[in-house]
Amino acid sequence: MKKFLITALLATLPAASAAGTLVFGANGDPVSLESGNITDGISILVQRQIYDTLVDFKDGTTDLKPGLATSWKANADNTAWTFTLRKGVQFTDGTPMNADAIVFNLNRWWDKADPYGFRDQGRTYEIVGDLLGGYKGDASAVIKGIVKVNDTTVRVDLNKPSSVLPNVLAAGYFGIASPAAIKKDGAKYGTPASTPVGTGPFVFQSWQTGDRVTLKANPDYWGTKARVDTVVIRSIKDASQRLNELKAGTIDFANDFTPDALKSIQADKNLVAVKRPSFNVGFVSMNNRNQYLKNDKVRQAIAMAINKKAIVDAFWNGLGTSSASFLPPVMAWANSSKVPADYTYDPAAAKKLLADAGYANGFSIDLWYMPVSRPYFPTPKPIAEAIAADLSGVGIKVNLKTEDWAKYLDDRNKEPGFDMYMIGWTGDYGDPDNFYGAYYGANASDDINWAPANLVSLLEKGRAATSQADKAKVYAQIHEITYNAAYRVPVVHSSPLAAARVYVKGWVPSPLGSESFNTITLLGKK
Amino acid sequence: MGTYLIRRLLRTALVMLGISLVVFVFVRSIPGDPATVMLGERGTPEAAARLREQLGLNKPWFFNPANPLDAQYPKYVNALLHGDLGSGLKSNIPVRDELRARFPATAELSLSALIFALAVGLPAGVIAALRRNSFWDNVATTISLVGVSMPVFWLGLLLSYFFAVKLGWLPPSARIGNESTLRPISGLYLLDSILRGDGRSFWDVLRHLILPAIALGSIPLAIIARITRSSLLDVLGQDYVRTAKAKGLAPNRVTLKHALRNALLPVVTVIGLQAGALLGGAVLTETIFSWPGIGSWVYDAISQRDYPVIQGGVIFAALVVSVVNLLVDLSYAALDPRIQYR
Repeated sequence: MKKFLITALLATLPAASAAGTLVFGANGDPVSLESGNITDGISILVQRQIYDTLVDFKDGTTDLKPGLATSWKANADNTAWTFTLRKGVQFTDGTPMNADAIVFNLNRWWDKADPYGFRDQGRTYEIVGDLLGGYKGDASAVIKGIVKVNDTTVRVDLNKPSSVLPNVLAAGYFGIASPAAIKKDGAKYGTPASTPVGTGPFVFQSWQTGDRVTLKANPDYWGTKARVDTVVIRSIKDASQRLNELKAGTIDFANDFTPDALKSIQADKNLVAVKRPSFNVGFVSMNNRNQYLKNDKVRQAIAMAINKKAIVDAFWNGLGTSSASFLPPVMAWANSSKVPADYTYDPAAAKKLLADAGYANGFSIDLWYMPVSRPYFPTPKPIAEAIAADLSGVGIKVNLKTEDWAKYLDDRNKEPGFDMYMIGWTGDYGDPDNFYGAYYGANASDDINWAPANLVSLLEKGRAATSQADKAKVYAQIHEITYNAAYRVPVVHSSPLAAARVYVKGWVPSPLGSESFNTITLLGKK
Repeated sequence: MGTYLIRRLLRTALVMLGISLVVFVFVRSIPGDPATVMLGERGTPEAAARLREQLGLNKPWFFNPANPLDAQYPKYVNALLHGDLGSGLKSNIPVRDELRARFPATAELSLSALIFALAVGLPAGVIAALRRNSFWDNVATTISLVGVSMPVFWLGLLLSYFFAVKLGWLPPSARIGNESTLRPISGLYLLDSILRGDGRSFWDVLRHLILPAIALGSIPLAIIARITRSSLLDVLGQDYVRTAKAKGLAPNRVTLKHALRNALLPVVTVIGLQAGALLGGAVLTETIFSWPGIGSWVYDAISQRDYPVIQGGVIFAALVVSVVNLLVDLSYAALDPRIQYR
């Protein structure tokens, strides 16, 4: 009787809160809907709706929370991680999510000989190589073996200690797919001609390439059930057109606006501007192969001569902060207290340093800026011009250069590389190694020709450290070394700009760039 | 006529083979390869080398001394002869499937743009020629000048902002509404909605088509108007027109039946040339209007160095242009009986 009354009462609530079509404007098409084989933001965003990961992130943060695993634990020396799985969860094709399914997924990504990896058909799973050092049998691979302990327990054995394995597996690349669906669709799995199947809050409906992906709410979702019936993720590459669509009301919310759109969004009473928490760094790299930049004093002078604060104020419209750390503000716990909060802007001192270094009359140098907009540098060219103007103030003549993005990425790693260039990084998960490791040390790109032994070993130590307190100590030292060396000068940690129609409620943007849409309601959408 | 056609088709096949070679070499000569782009900021030389091996990009282009068949171009041509254009390097979507899915979108847009350009450009050109140096001539000339010089992406955004955001008359972009239920048959949505007898979808599709068709059609419109004007002026001054007038034929009949038909020859040539230009213009228009056609797809592939997609897209576009030009050549004979093909 009580149950009946509750159901009857619930039925009287407005239906609008649990209905409607939610339309998202993405800045392009997903590349693939197959986990482990993607690196781009849009694929991750769509996959987040269809799949769950073993470990998840708390809304709006990079802190871990249970996903398909309810708990996880390492052995004493961090060389084996045991994951306990959630019971009673099914993939949307009705097959069970259990240890076999997890082992199937992990093996597929990591084992080059796995028959369901379809590597002969062009699958590459490069993100596994990037985040986990390599594949089965590789000397540098982090994972040694993947073991089913029992139906609800999986153990991952490691070749070397790692405290960040759960963080890595929580990254949006590693959604867990139904083994039955993969076997059924074969090499087609993940393309528009297949049906991707996960355990997530939404179920895949259709994918028209270049146009849209349509998803339906998963009525049996184990977590918070979606509050809309349908999600349409539309591909709208042009940022101005995305804003037009949003203003016209043909989409409900969208990502990736440049900071200069802020005013226009704020001026529209139907829209709200949404700031993503900052989780990136945009910086200027200096190449040790250049005769001037080899000199410590020159690099320090350059770091001092750039008026970073003014640049961030001018080009980010309050959507960025400047600091002397490679790490975004949410990871400030890993910064050193001995390093100042930011570089001092002091052109006079910079001039003096240059004179001490023997370049009282200055010199001329190339600064390369990216040809594409990135969350950390939304408008690279004017930013580069501002940096050039600052440097000319201390007598350094800057030649601004750019080229096609693919060539840019290629050339920076080819000797002699660029003298100075702009680049950046957006994090995959909340560990300092994800930032420092990408640009310093043994696994980093070869663009600055600088990787001293003490830094390399500290980075190894950071990766193995178990407690946050231990990590904090190691990364404080790394912070000091990299700050003093000034090979890479952080310019900004930006908050990427998103926007929504006013009726879109319950959207909690993740610092990592994508989040599930199951918490969103559309009360009052016409 | 028959032998002419066979000769033309054989020549087209040879041209396609030549284009395949040129594109193959060309895309691989641009610095930065798919591995670089796929790895993005995280690219280290080691990771790029590993990925190149996985993608088969480390193999020789033309000849592998160890295994002559295991080189990139021979493999590509072999697959091409079997009608296989390969698959997108990252997406694994077969290029052929993607072409089949996207070509109707481009075709529908290009045809609409062309129809728009003709529907406005031809009469404008005729009026300008008949009322030479009048107010209308000046209007038509000015509009065509603006049409030619206005960048497509700028015009597209402007149209979208004005008609979609400010006035709310038309949708800003996309081919079809968010809640559309149209089930495609041919992929030409306008046609499909008629075939399905679905009036609501027809209206929806038409509304989405208007702005991009105007944006894409603006340049051909301007060119058609100018060519029609000058060609008609040329013809109007010729003897047979004077004769026709002297015979006492009605002026309208002289212009439309005698003069215009002959004046159309250069216009048809221009339409043929515009087929290539439309495909080129589609790149920008499709990007601005989130149009899921071939233009925006190949454009993306170029920035991502997706070799099979670029190759397939270029070969296909070349094929389309060849076919259109063949049709144009054949229509000369229909317009002017003096022209014969052997």
